[in-house]
Amino acid sequence: MKQRSVVNILFLAPVVFTFIMIIIVPFSLGIYYSLTDWNGVSPIIHFVGFKNFSKLFNTPDFIHSFLITVGYTIINVILVNIVSFTLSLIVTSKVKFRNFYRAGFFVPYLIGGIVLGYIWQFIMNNILVSLGTTYGIEMLQSSFLSRPETVIWVMSVVNTWQFSGYIMLIYVAAIQSIPKSLMEAASVDGAGFVRNVFNILIPMMANAFTISLFLTLTNSFKQFDMNLTLTNGGPATRFMGVPVKASQLLAMNIFDTATANKMAEAQAKAVVLFVVLVVVSLIQVSNNKKKEVEM
Amino acid sequence: MKKKIAVVLFSVLLVTSVFAGGAQEAASSDKTTVKMFHLKVEIKDALDEYAAQYSAATPGVTVEVETLGGGADYGGALKAKAQAGDMPDIFQIEGLGGYNVWKDYIASMEGEPWVDDTDLEFVVDGTVYGFPVAIEGYGLAYNAEILAKAGIDPSTLTTRDAYEKAFKTLEAKKAELGIDAPVAMAASLAGGMWWVAAQHNLAVYWGGGLDFTDTSVIEDALKGKMDEARFTEYAKYVQLLFKYADQNILLNGSYDDQVGSFAQGKTAFLHQGNWVDPNMAQMGVTFKMGYAPHAFTNTPQTGLYLFAPSWYVVNAQSPRVEEAKAFLASMATTAEGHDYIVNKAGMIPAFKSVTLKPSGQLSQALMEANAKGGNYGVFFGMLPDGAGQNVFGPVYDLFAQNQNNLNQFISDMKAAIASLPTM
Repeated sequence: MKQRSVVNILFLAPVVFTFIMIIIVPFSLGIYYSLTDWNGVSPIIHFVGFKNFSKLFNTPDFIHSFLITVGYTIINVILVNIVSFTLSLIVTSKVKFRNFYRAGFFVPYLIGGIVLGYIWQFIMNNILVSLGTTYGIEMLQSSFLSRPETVIWVMSVVNTWQFSGYIMLIYVAAIQSIPKSLMEAASVDGAGFVRNVFNILIPMMANAFTISLFLTLTNSFKQFDMNLTLTNGGPATRFMGVPVKASQLLAMNIFDTATANKMAEAQAKAVVLFVVLVVVSLIQVSNNKKKEVEM
Repeated sequence: MKKKIAVVLFSVLLVTSVFAGGAQEAASSDKTTVKMFHLKVEIKDALDEYAAQYSAATPGVTVEVETLGGGADYGGALKAKAQAGDMPDIFQIEGLGGYNVWKDYIASMEGEPWVDDTDLEFVVDGTVYGFPVAIEGYGLAYNAEILAKAGIDPSTLTTRDAYEKAFKTLEAKKAELGIDAPVAMAASLAGGMWWVAAQHNLAVYWGGGLDFTDTSVIEDALKGKMDEARFTEYAKYVQLLFKYADQNILLNGSYDDQVGSFAQGKTAFLHQGNWVDPNMAQMGVTFKMGYAPHAFTNTPQTGLYLFAPSWYVVNAQSPRVEEAKAFLASMATTAEGHDYIVNKAGMIPAFKSVTLKPSGQLSQALMEANAKGGNYGVFFGMLPDGAGQNVFGPVYDLFAQNQNNLNQFISDMKAAIASLPTM
């Protein structure tokens, strides 16, 4: 037995060590710095208590970023899951070339967010605008990315395009694990396709919904790379009487604060993001878990 | 028992291998290595070559150059180096914001041989701290051929009214001249071009029409005060530039869109500095161009905006301060150094004793203006970090979207300036 524990420690040590060094230590330091006035370099650090946090709730740009991040997350969770569930139904049906479609829908996920942002920026700013100018379609003549009221939706569409292939695979796996006999029995009893989906398929794959909702929720909340390259926070809009960046999501707000050498303030924002994300995803997961069916 | 020792040894090995990155320079030889870390990626090759040349000519000293730039996070990388105890001997700052962050690491350069040879050294409270990397500058660049065709004499562009008349003429002759719009101006957050409007153009309000070193306007602003009469004049000039700009470039364009449109002759004016010279050369531009002043009042203004965009500073905590200073001094005082700055790196030297001339048309225009005098200073470097990007940037972007709302722009800027002291 004694030997076993030595071996266990030996195997665990590298991982535990790495985990402590790159997660636990920076995380604790981060919480500590959020309570100080550190600028990222200076060795003189003053403890300021919760001043950074109380300041946040008077800053229009932070409140705006927070609200649009919540909005963006809601749009995304709904859009990505509806699209990917529909796609998963299509590629598990008897349609021709379904394996080709599976691969095709998944490919956007393999393109990194940075590259993808630039590609869609080019489509939105150049291709659509020149189509609009050539064919005299007034709606397309100015880019969707330059309108504060549409920019969040454009970002959601791009994110859906990227992410739904991945979520689709989770749904496909879940659908395939449901015994065919259940569906056949229902069909024999006279249930149509829609009834089959809502009364058998969806309840049987509730665990897939738990994981998919969790993934889309956390990913939208933390969205950064595509935000940076697609919109860079622009255009500007007015919020609480102050010009702010219309598409600056929370992660980008933190990044912009940090690059302005306000490390402690950025850290406080990051702690807020973390706490909100943990609370929201715990509620979501525990709620969804209740609906899962044990086979 | 033996196994326990093995475990302990193994863990120690693991820990040391992880932290080994932190220990360095243990072995010393008689050769001194000066480490330089800079952010001008466009002069990397020239600087590497000059450092090698200097190292070969100076016994006992080797200069090692490390480059990071082109949009990479230089400040972040420098912070990481400081945390790791691997601070370079020479690094670069871009103004007072950078100085305030790094002041514990910045050595005084008082008494260096080049100090009297330049107007653009970095000074805080009367002490010299920074070596000016180059002169950069801007006005409103014009395409001389388009202006000639439209019958506009660029030397008359010294008041806002003159600009308005010129823009109107160009707008009316758009089809005939083959241009999309009179001006290539950018102000969008989305295109990452906030700095053109919220930094370079706003610098016109801070320094335009004043003495080269007169910082009174920006010092008032740092206390939260705006000169409303002056700002209203300036705001009308911004409105004029926005109104006659190519709207897609203004609201959404990238640097390439903006510079490309001017280079292809689709716009007659370009709001950019002499750093576009290499872009013009790349795109095979042959037309003649020059700089007109940003004349925002109806009192004539003729000066261009000249500044050192960044300074080399020497790490005060390094044991190699003297070697580092000697390397910088060689750039300013030797023929090889001058050759490097002007011919190899293609920059405008900040030192008056340099007689070589740069090849780009806009750089030449700036050098002439510098020799002639009567130019204006650029002071946005005195603003707190992030003020341009996070505070003024959105204000300009919003004004670009609602160009007729001049009063809103003025009151937004007033509020933004009032928030500066608390940043």
